[in-house]
Amino acid sequence: MSEREFVIPIGPQHPALKEPANFMFKVEGEYVVDVVPRVGYNHRGIEKAMESRTYIQNLYLIERICGICSNAHQTCYTLNVEEVLGMEIPERAKYIRVFMAELERIHSHLLWLGVAAHEIGFDTLFFYIWRDREVVMDLLEMVSGNRVNYAMPTIGGVRRDIPADKIPEYHKMLDILAERTKYYKGVAASEKTIMNRAAGVGVLKKADAIRLSATGPNLRSCGVPNDRRRDTPYLVYDEIPFNVISYDGGDQLAQVLTRVDEVFESVKICKYCLDHLPDGPIREKFSPLGKVPEGEAVNIVEAQRGELIHYIQSRGADKPYRYKIRAPTLANIPSLVERLKGGYIADIPIVLAGIDPCFSCTDRMTMVDEGKGKQWDVTGEQLRRYGIEWYKQ
Amino acid sequence: MGLVTWARTRSPWLIHFNAGACNACDIEVVAVLTPRYDVERFGALLRGSPRHADVMVTTGSVTRQVKDRLKRVYDQMPEPKFVVAVGSCAISGGTFQQCYNVMEGTDKVIPVSAYIPGCPPKPEAILDGVVKLLKSAGY
Amino acid sequence: MSLMEEHKRFLERFVTFLGEGNVIESKIPRERRVFVLIKVDKLRDAVTYLRDNEGFMHISTITGLDRGEDIELIYHLTKKDLSLNLKVRVPYDKPVVPSITDILNGAVLYEREIHDLVGVVPEGHPNLKPLVLPEHWPEDVHPLLKKWDLDSIRKKIDEVGARKE
Repeated sequence: MSEREFVIPIGPQHPALKEPANFMFKVEGEYVVDVVPRVGYNHRGIEKAMESRTYIQNLYLIERICGICSNAHQTCYTLNVEEVLGMEIPERAKYIRVFMAELERIHSHLLWLGVAAHEIGFDTLFFYIWRDREVVMDLLEMVSGNRVNYAMPTIGGVRRDIPADKIPEYHKMLDILAERTKYYKGVAASEKTIMNRAAGVGVLKKADAIRLSATGPNLRSCGVPNDRRRDTPYLVYDEIPFNVISYDGGDQLAQVLTRVDEVFESVKICKYCLDHLPDGPIREKFSPLGKVPEGEAVNIVEAQRGELIHYIQSRGADKPYRYKIRAPTLANIPSLVERLKGGYIADIPIVLAGIDPCFSCTDRMTMVDEGKGKQWDVTGEQLRRYGIEWYKQ
Repeated sequence: MGLVTWARTRSPWLIHFNAGACNACDIEVVAVLTPRYDVERFGALLRGSPRHADVMVTTGSVTRQVKDRLKRVYDQMPEPKFVVAVGSCAISGGTFQQCYNVMEGTDKVIPVSAYIPGCPPKPEAILDGVVKLLKSAGY
Repeated sequence: MSLMEEHKRFLERFVTFLGEGNVIESKIPRERRVFVLIKVDKLRDAVTYLRDNEGFMHISTITGLDRGEDIELIYHLTKKDLSLNLKVRVPYDKPVVPSITDILNGAVLYEREIHDLVGVVPEGHPNLKPLVLPEHWPEDVHPLLKKWDLDSIRKKIDEVGARKE
């Protein structure tokens, strides 16, 4: 190790913000030697708050843990509560829940693709993708009434039905999405700009991915085809034919390709749900002040970013005794650190974005040259541009 | 109206700060940039640095961890500056009132010029709010 | 063999390995879920066995909860087809567990989290800094313990803040 070691606390503030976080990078010349993540900027105290709210009130709180995974959290929550209640929900409700979950996955992956394009300076692609993403936003709004935070799952089923006369239109919109995504896949797999910035960058070996408990597309892009929808199926995923996508590269290009292909799979699943929607009610009754019997349950859902796990313990009251939530990004941080080590500083933005983190960073970076005793500020936007310029040489 | 003022209202530069939000408002703020809503036709640009910004668009219920940084970014902005609180959380804490790590509202930390309610507010509402703010700034 | 049969066999193997006296409670409420309560001093042996012999390479998270009489930690280990929930209990006056980060590297952040939220110390953890709680948070306030409610937490924060000035 040389004597010139810089420590860069990083927090680029990019337009597509997620939660704030802070990273301390130890660098040597152009290489990242070590990374210390500091999270917790978004810690609001939700688990504690859930203990003082009724089960129906908690639906609204849970939804807002993350605006991009809101449906995934609600799905897991309702599964947990229904399991402790011993409640079996109608088949139609299960299909509608899967439909919403997959729509949310499409929306999230397209969002991410645009952000990733922005991180490497490919803003044209970012704008194109977000324009096409409006198709899925429209679809979400037509089905649920809102573009974000759709509040479809509820305890006992779903809130809104999918009327039969709308289904042909939904099919058409899904087809448009699939067609546009095909175009983006072609771009991703062949555009020199992307290949330069993503191929061979931020590599994670398969063994490390498993050792560090990575999940989701982050794990599947390293050649490990683990998907909670297949491994611990919930709702009706065991009845729906779909492929688990995984790519072998372990680099950022593999992350891109994995997510793009997952969009196709999600479109397939959505269309299957629309075609096979069973008749029947959409909801079992559960009183807003209903008590849940004593018991505990664990449920695991494949959210957009990876494995989402919730644990519930009830002691017979109308409020949960303990509710534990672990969102996928926390699980992906150790593997993120591993991806960053040994890479170039210029690659930091794309590798950070690569795990589809559910946190954004504050706009504060300090360069510290321990050897020279100097310290100066850099913004995240400058780091992003630094990366773009660096690759132009 | 001076030339500088005229230039400022015709082209407000925005900076987006996430103060512990769930990202729903954030993605709607970013959607405002995209071709369908296109805030750029109003001359508004999203910048990365507070030192270039006229308007800070803030989301989130302001967690204790973030509040000092929020204040610091606000202080770095040159005068005259405006703050737009987007979303119920930024206004009052939203669903996160009575949570132990939440300050319950942006105006508990920095002065706010405009409030845009919604959970999240639609991009049209955000655009509307920003435009109203500039009009009301007296220019 | 059905899944439930497989889970029963797995449980038998586990109990045989650990020793019957060390497995306090166990249940298989449904397919793909097993809950086991073991003695805390056997935690490391159990996790090593599960990783090396039963294929549990993935730790999903660790839940810390205040039972009212002691603190319970649940280690959620997951593999294909099975979510194993390994429980241990520690008393309030000695909230210490052995760290398992060297056995399952993925546990590194979860152990910091339970230390923040319920005050349990994972002995041997390489880097026990606060994970989710903010700087200047009063050290002895572990929010998810039942003795802390919103008002008492806020009071304590104000107290500490006032003392600093």
